[in-house]
Amino acid sequence: MLREFELDLPGDLQETLTRLPGGTPLAGGTNLLVDLRARREEAKRLVWLGNIEAFRDIKIDKAHVAIGGGTTVGDILRNSAMIDAAPSLVGAARVFGGQMVRNQATVAGNVCSGSPAADTVPPLLSLDAEICLASSTGVRSVPIDSFYSGFKKNQRKQDELITGLSWSVPGPSTANLFYKLARRKGDAITVVGVAVTVTRDGDRCSDARIALGAVAPTVFRAKDAEAMLTDQPLTEELIDEAARAAMAQSNPIDDIRASADYRRHTVHMLTRRLIGQAWRSLAGKEADK
Amino acid sequence: MTDQTTARHTEANVVLRQVGKPLERTDAEGKATGRTRYAGDYTMPGMLHAKVLRSDIASGKLKRLDASKARALPGVTAILTAEDLPDRLAATDMPGQTGQKRAATDRQILVREIIRHHGEPLALIAAETPAIADKAHDLIEYEIEPLPGVYETSAALQAGAPVVTEPDNIVGEHKIRKGDTEKGFAEADHIIENTFHTQFIEHAFLEPEVGLAWVDENGVINIRMSTQVIEHFRFIADAMGVPHNKVRILGAMVGGGFGGKEDITVELYLALLAQATRRPVRLAYTREDSFVGHGKRHPFDITHKTGVTKDGKITALEVTIRADSGAYVFLSPYVLLYCAVAAPGPYRIDNVKIDSKAIATNNMYTSAFRGFGAAQACVAYEAQMDEIAKAISIDRFELRRHNFMRTGDKTATGQTVESAIWSDKCMTQALAALGEPTNAEGPVKVGRGVATYQQSYGRITWFHDTAEAWVGIEVDGTVIVRSGVTDIGAGQASALGQIAAELLGVGLDDVVVYNSDSAVTPLAGTTTATRALYMTGRAAHKASEILRGRLVEFAASELGVRPEDVDLANGQAFVIDNPESAMSLKDLAARGASEGLQRSELAMFRAPFTDPIDEETGQGPVFPDFTYGCHAVEVAVDTETGEVTVLKSVGAHDIGQAINPQAVEGQIEGGALMGQGYALSEELIYQEGKLVSPSFSEYLIPTSMDMPEIKSIILESRSGLGPFGAKGIGEPSLTPVAPAIANAIADAIGTRVFDLPITPEKIVRALREADENA
Ligand SMILES: Cc1cc2nc3c(=O)[nH]c(=O)nc-3n(C[C@H](O)[C@H](O)[C@H](O)COP(=O)(O)OP(=O)(O)OC[C@H]3O[C@@H](n4cnc5c(N)ncnc54)[C@H](O)[C@@H]3O)c2cc1C
Repeated sequence: MLREFELDLPGDLQETLTRLPGGTPLAGGTNLLVDLRARREEAKRLVWLGNIEAFRDIKIDKAHVAIGGGTTVGDILRNSAMIDAAPSLVGAARVFGGQMVRNQATVAGNVCSGSPAADTVPPLLSLDAEICLASSTGVRSVPIDSFYSGFKKNQRKQDELITGLSWSVPGPSTANLFYKLARRKGDAITVVGVAVTVTRDGDRCSDARIALGAVAPTVFRAKDAEAMLTDQPLTEELIDEAARAAMAQSNPIDDIRASADYRRHTVHMLTRRLIGQAWRSLAGKEADK
Repeated sequence: MTDQTTARHTEANVVLRQVGKPLERTDAEGKATGRTRYAGDYTMPGMLHAKVLRSDIASGKLKRLDASKARALPGVTAILTAEDLPDRLAATDMPGQTGQKRAATDRQILVREIIRHHGEPLALIAAETPAIADKAHDLIEYEIEPLPGVYETSAALQAGAPVVTEPDNIVGEHKIRKGDTEKGFAEADHIIENTFHTQFIEHAFLEPEVGLAWVDENGVINIRMSTQVIEHFRFIADAMGVPHNKVRILGAMVGGGFGGKEDITVELYLALLAQATRRPVRLAYTREDSFVGHGKRHPFDITHKTGVTKDGKITALEVTIRADSGAYVFLSPYVLLYCAVAAPGPYRIDNVKIDSKAIATNNMYTSAFRGFGAAQACVAYEAQMDEIAKAISIDRFELRRHNFMRTGDKTATGQTVESAIWSDKCMTQALAALGEPTNAEGPVKVGRGVATYQQSYGRITWFHDTAEAWVGIEVDGTVIVRSGVTDIGAGQASALGQIAAELLGVGLDDVVVYNSDSAVTPLAGTTTATRALYMTGRAAHKASEILRGRLVEFAASELGVRPEDVDLANGQAFVIDNPESAMSLKDLAARGASEGLQRSELAMFRAPFTDPIDEETGQGPVFPDFTYGCHAVEVAVDTETGEVTVLKSVGAHDIGQAINPQAVEGQIEGGALMGQGYALSEELIYQEGKLVSPSFSEYLIPTSMDMPEIKSIILESRSGLGPFGAKGIGEPSLTPVAPAIANAIADAIGTRVFDLPITPEKIVRALREADENA
């Protein structure tokens, strides 16, 4: 049974920000309402974000992407420019929940849910996204890489709202991929999520991102593995070594979905596979040049 | 055995006008437009809302239960605890019919003292609103002293184990002895032994349990609810201590049953609360209530030891079966019997020895589930066939062909199967339908598998099963069918309409079927055991045929010909050799009415009746008949992650005669989905008897993204005991799917996972072990 709560329906952004102290933002409700019903969540007053103007706007130009704080996972899929502007995020959106949930669930809500299995977070980490936070006292921007501080802990202050997220459009020498490993193909909680970004400069990898979901208290970047790849030609051996390093950096738990051991194994397999795929796809592009 | 079936159809040239056509079912439009009323859609003025308080501990002693705070809450109308109830039991049985000992420990309506499973009910609440009922639920105070429990069948059999069921935790045992297994093993060139394990699963019907009860002006307790079995009115009356005619169960269209609405669910609670409050009471389970509130599918451990000659003839089979019956007996002895009888599969084996036990634990009780023990049996015997083929290096399809029972053969219990056995045809067609193999790439391996089966339809023959149906023609020539059959989504009611339409010469549109009312519609028995079409269809057939006879005779005299010259079709009675000479059914019925022609018939169909099988040897007939068929799949397995993709899925079944082929496809497709979940992803996880995830976020039924397109191949031997030679397909369509998938995975990766579900993790582990052993 749903816990009782008050519901605020502020009319615009300014009013929303003044209502936030002591209140809990309500976006799609696909985490919040579920948690209230299961009594995992105690929020007494919810502040509905649905009246904020242009809150779902997506702006994509040649170099830059900015999505509003109310952008849903479905909005990501429906925007045809997104496939080049954030390939991994589109990949995650495709395997996110079911259609009804995708229509309702917001990217900001996913980021705030803080779940290590949140599917949009590895892609956003692999894209070096910035989170824009606003309160009635001001606005600030936090790189997503420094947003999470522990299990379901993050840098957002209680009265802050995520008003948007932004990142740079990957260039032609960059490949960006995501894979969700789960116990079934549709509508399932992620067992391991891997997002990678590989930028190629000639025969070398000039930059790499490896973001891992569901294998630690928060989604995180396997920076040891990234460093091993940077400024190197990516041989199969090196890719495998880096994937092993990613595995070593993960710190998964046993739960009813999978054992820690299996999660580590698949981090190794999937990181290796995605980096290899990304690298080879760029080799094709190099050859075309 | 007195076989009362008169008309045994073979592949005769029968002209069918309504039967065998994919007609739009009578329930289709209402469901598609949302106008169908399910049990949960009914309300009444002044209705109260009920809730059940349950134990969150699997094994314990209820020390204290104090509902005073809850009772004091404004809006709470009644709280019932064991103190307030008659000391009667709450487990149903098919009384006196097993020849089995009945477990000495049975379930009480509400816990008095000992709690034996997670979710056992402690108190019933009725309140003015659902929210007040929820609050009252939280205000009831109780104290449970945990007691040592037992959660594994092996532990439950050990000396000194906690006794869940008096005296020794054994709630059922069956033996089958045929031939001489020692001799059979001596004749074998190879002996292959394997143990297979199946898991607890959930029925996961779309519609959780729900009902509405009221006591009417005659003092009758009426219960409108979602159930497979309106005949539980008798049991409710007994439990309440009122005469049987004072309880009435009315069904509604049911949103899925799969065996999970075969035992009682909400009806007893509703009856008690309606009687206590004298107001209408509604009880609707949430999904969480449903997960902990009804019995599950039995986990089984099944060991096959098979003797086989080098050219693939099976000479001996020993099977040891263990089922976890959970905390209460419910239908466990029968589920166990089905498993034992099914254990040899559709194969002719001369020397067989089967031993089976159902064992009580403090896990959730287990009971009926589509396939009813025979599905678990198939998981083992079809995996074993592939393991035998692999061990002796022989083609696995040829191995099956070599050993298949053929029409006229006897089962392991010595029952001669009189209908067609088309296992070979079904397998050949299913395999052909898989088409060209899909190419494998890199770490992804592709494999194929089949499973064939023998699955009964109709009840155990010593239950002396009967069904009734009433068919009448109105004075305007339209037709009404009345039968108690519950329609659990498979088109059970519509099929009766199609049968009546066929025999009375009208269209399905001209027939209205009234079903599922224990007081008003003639009782048809339950919609379980793949018996609804067979039994009720035969009753409707019989009633229609008698009525047809009268109409034909009357028309013949009106048309001045002999009755055998008259046929009924297209709303007319006409002379076969001179169709111009005809009269409309409307005129015929109206004329008949004015002449006092009886325009209705109530008929009873009786299944074959037998005595129970021999307790020591298990010899004797057990079921009326069997369905045979095959499911074939192709899978891709990612050997790095263990992920499985089912690429192709084909069901080919000899169902005797399809009454409505589209409805049959529905069963085959649904079976393919349910079986895929059973094979790959579905599992209820109990820790110390506690269900740790009563939610669809952890209990993973396949989604549309997980399913390939299903191909259905319908074979029609017209040799079954059902109407027009039909067999049954409800349970059979599920049975072979999981073993076919297991076999395909084993084919792809070269090693086998012996316990369901075959998760990616288990595949990775099996590959690693195979690697280490190599
Ligand atoms: C059936 C189902 C399937 C699901 N499948 C997936 C899946 O495949 N992958 C996955 O990652 N998740 C999944 N989820 C979880 C959930 O849908 C996502 O986490 C979703 O993105 C949450 O967004 P929301 O808009 O619904 O957030 P809400 O539930 O409204 O809010 C979630 C949290 O974020 C806060 N919040 C929301 N918006 C803002 C904002 N703009 N600023 C500050 N705080 C904010 C809320 O206060 C709350 O604490 C699923 C959930 C369900 C019910």
